[in-house]
Amino acid sequence: MLTILKIVQYLVRALNSEGTPGQVAVGFTLGAALGLTPIANLHSLVFIAVIAVFRVSVPGAFLGWLLMTPVGFLLDPAFDAIGRALLLDAGELTPLWTTIYNTPILSLANLNNSVVLGSLIGWAGLTIPIYVVARIGVGQYRKHVYPKIATWKIFKAVKASKVYNVYRLFQP
Amino acid sequence: MARLKLFRWQSLIPLGILFVLLGVLLWLFLDLLVERSVERSGTYIVGARVDLASADVRLGDGVVVLRGLQVTNPDAPMTNLIEAREIVLNVRMAPLLEKKLHVDTLALRDMRFGTPRAESGALKNPPPGSGQIKRDIDRWARQIKIPSFSLEGLGQVVNVSAIRPESLQTLAQARAIVAASDSMVKMWDQQIRALDPRPQIDSTRAFIAELRAADPARLGVAGITTLATNARARLTAVTQLRNQVAVLDSSARGGVADVRSLVQGLADARDADIAFARGLLKLPSLEGPQLSPAIFGEAALSWVKPVLYWMRIAEEYVPPGLNPRRYAGPRRARRRGTTVLFPTGQSTPRFLLGYGEASLALGGTGAAAGSYAARITGLTSDPILTRTPIALLASRTEAVRGPRDIRVAALLDHASRPIRDSLAADLRGISLPSVTLAPLGARLLLGTGMSNLSLARSGDQLDARWLWRSPDVRWERLTAATPGNAAALRIGTKAWADDLLWRTIAGIDNVEIDVRLSGTVTRPSLAVRSNVGETIAQSLRREFGREVERAEQQVRAKVDSLVQSEVARARAMAETARAKAMDEIAPRVAEVQQVEAQLDAEIRALAQRLPAGLRVPALSIPGLPRAGRPDTTVRDTTRKTPPDTTPPDTTPKVVPDSTRRHPS
Repeated sequence: MLTILKIVQYLVRALNSEGTPGQVAVGFTLGAALGLTPIANLHSLVFIAVIAVFRVSVPGAFLGWLLMTPVGFLLDPAFDAIGRALLLDAGELTPLWTTIYNTPILSLANLNNSVVLGSLIGWAGLTIPIYVVARIGVGQYRKHVYPKIATWKIFKAVKASKVYNVYRLFQP
Repeated sequence: MARLKLFRWQSLIPLGILFVLLGVLLWLFLDLLVERSVERSGTYIVGARVDLASADVRLGDGVVVLRGLQVTNPDAPMTNLIEAREIVLNVRMAPLLEKKLHVDTLALRDMRFGTPRAESGALKNPPPGSGQIKRDIDRWARQIKIPSFSLEGLGQVVNVSAIRPESLQTLAQARAIVAASDSMVKMWDQQIRALDPRPQIDSTRAFIAELRAADPARLGVAGITTLATNARARLTAVTQLRNQVAVLDSSARGGVADVRSLVQGLADARDADIAFARGLLKLPSLEGPQLSPAIFGEAALSWVKPVLYWMRIAEEYVPPGLNPRRYAGPRRARRRGTTVLFPTGQSTPRFLLGYGEASLALGGTGAAAGSYAARITGLTSDPILTRTPIALLASRTEAVRGPRDIRVAALLDHASRPIRDSLAADLRGISLPSVTLAPLGARLLLGTGMSNLSLARSGDQLDARWLWRSPDVRWERLTAATPGNAAALRIGTKAWADDLLWRTIAGIDNVEIDVRLSGTVTRPSLAVRSNVGETIAQSLRREFGREVERAEQQVRAKVDSLVQSEVARARAMAETARAKAMDEIAPRVAEVQQVEAQLDAEIRALAQRLPAGLRVPALSIPGLPRAGRPDTTVRDTTRKTPPDTTPPDTTPKVVPDSTRRHPS
């Protein structure tokens, strides 16, 4: 129950963030990378660092992560196929994979795994559509939905909680 | 409008704290991670549970200590293949950044073999691909046909009705001969009818007579030219006919040869059928070489299976070459995918063990008691990068009593193809295992003896010999002895068979078992020889040689009665085919050849009879002297023949010479 409440809290905050719709959309897109790709990998740290260091919406990133995780599971067969095609069938790319595989640190990124590589490539391909949809969605939400839910008691309660103060530290 | 800032510098501290926390968590759970990794990868490779009590990773010292390792024997899940109290590894740190494990030294302490397990080590849900090699070897073992051995029912009436005609090779082969011969004869008939050479032969003979009677002086230039042209055309047609008949003849001869070879193979098929029928009746063989596989086949299989297993494991995990290798990805909630490795000639191996040693001490005062030591060098996952063979040497360093001649040496050269493995194990004065021999209803306790295994592999070819010898064996009877006089037992009863076998083997003190493996690694052939088989064969021959002979005669007679008529039919059909080929086709070839030769001779004769000075190209035959000089040639303009489709020497034209004049 608590988890669901937190998810709702993040959802509301993300959509209602004080950041621009663009910042929320970029955060959402970067968060989508965490959701679409297997999380326990080196690239996840890189994405987390990017989300934290650049002025993108952190709640937006959380939202992207939460919403895109089940999508990632669903798309795994496609990611696997993309990864296998790149790793095994594209002979011209073999020198690139060989270099990555034999480079310290970079070899820890597991880019030689078909699902990891395929999901990263898949995310890269979906970046612009995700960004556009997220940006339009946030704009529409703020224009039509937020004025209505701003009057809800639950919304006011969430906004007044202590977690909100921590969250503000990361606001763009 | 305020300018949007790109960076959020205040987040660096929380981010740093997050990464430090992750590092601390990793450090805290590193031991557990290593423990689980060893268990998981070991389980995957062996195909049975691998348990580790604890792992202690000291990153600062580059030392990893694994304690309480238990590797389940995949063939006996309640037994450990290897158990080690402690394994200490000195690991290099830098290669870890490339996900590579380089172990400088490995020390394996208090290693024991075949220890019992508290719980089964069998996998309920083995990961995909795990245990594949074991399954392959089990499949191969199931395909090995171990001859049956039973003396029961020997004295009873032989039930030859159990021999079914449809299971006999001879019948199938005889029917195939009949069908093939019938089909060939029909086909030849059709082809002879289609060719129908008789009218052409007859008309050509008539034309030869006409040619022979022709007078060039009377025929004139036009007449002789027409005749010569006709003769050439007819010769070409006869040559074509001869070629067609020759092709048919050649095909017929080939068919006859095939059928003849099938007919000759009928004798072998009959022998195979008799052996098969004999097997159905479970008549025991009286030959030692056939008895030994029946007695020791199962035991030999159980001995060689681990050898094949570890050899295949070595091939799988120490492969030659640098081609990208594929493995299943790590286990996780998401799909595992495929992990592809891309080694290069300039890189370092993914796994390397520079030097490893193991010590083992067996207590007590038995023959096996003493200290043992083993060392391994150059163990790597990428032998092409180290360019050195993997060497293993194990020996007994101290014996409580008895000889110290225990030595195992192995060399695996996988740096290039073909891979070469060799293994020599010489164990003397050791306690050999006991073997349950179900066909004999007894257990053989080999006692103290010697075991010698030599194995050589080159590429896919394998040659191995495993010799077991014990001078002082004991036998344990697994069946209850029948009270009373042994001579009173009826031949063929179980009690009689058990008694006879027991009396025979109980007197054998010295046992030698020789197991040989040869052929390909994936499907080797197995041969077993033993003096036990010879001794039992002698005893059987002495006791009931006549009984077996009588039964064999009955079997032979039954098989013959089942196949005789079909074999006779097959032979008759084969003879029909041969007769067709020899009596109908071959003479036609000869006849057409004869007609062709006659026509050719007559054309030559006609050319000789030409008046001096007349040259007719259709009659120009290389090597034939001209009738006279100078030549007078006249172009025949009555017919037109494209020069590219008609041979020059048969064109109906007379070519003018430089001095043009009329021949007459």
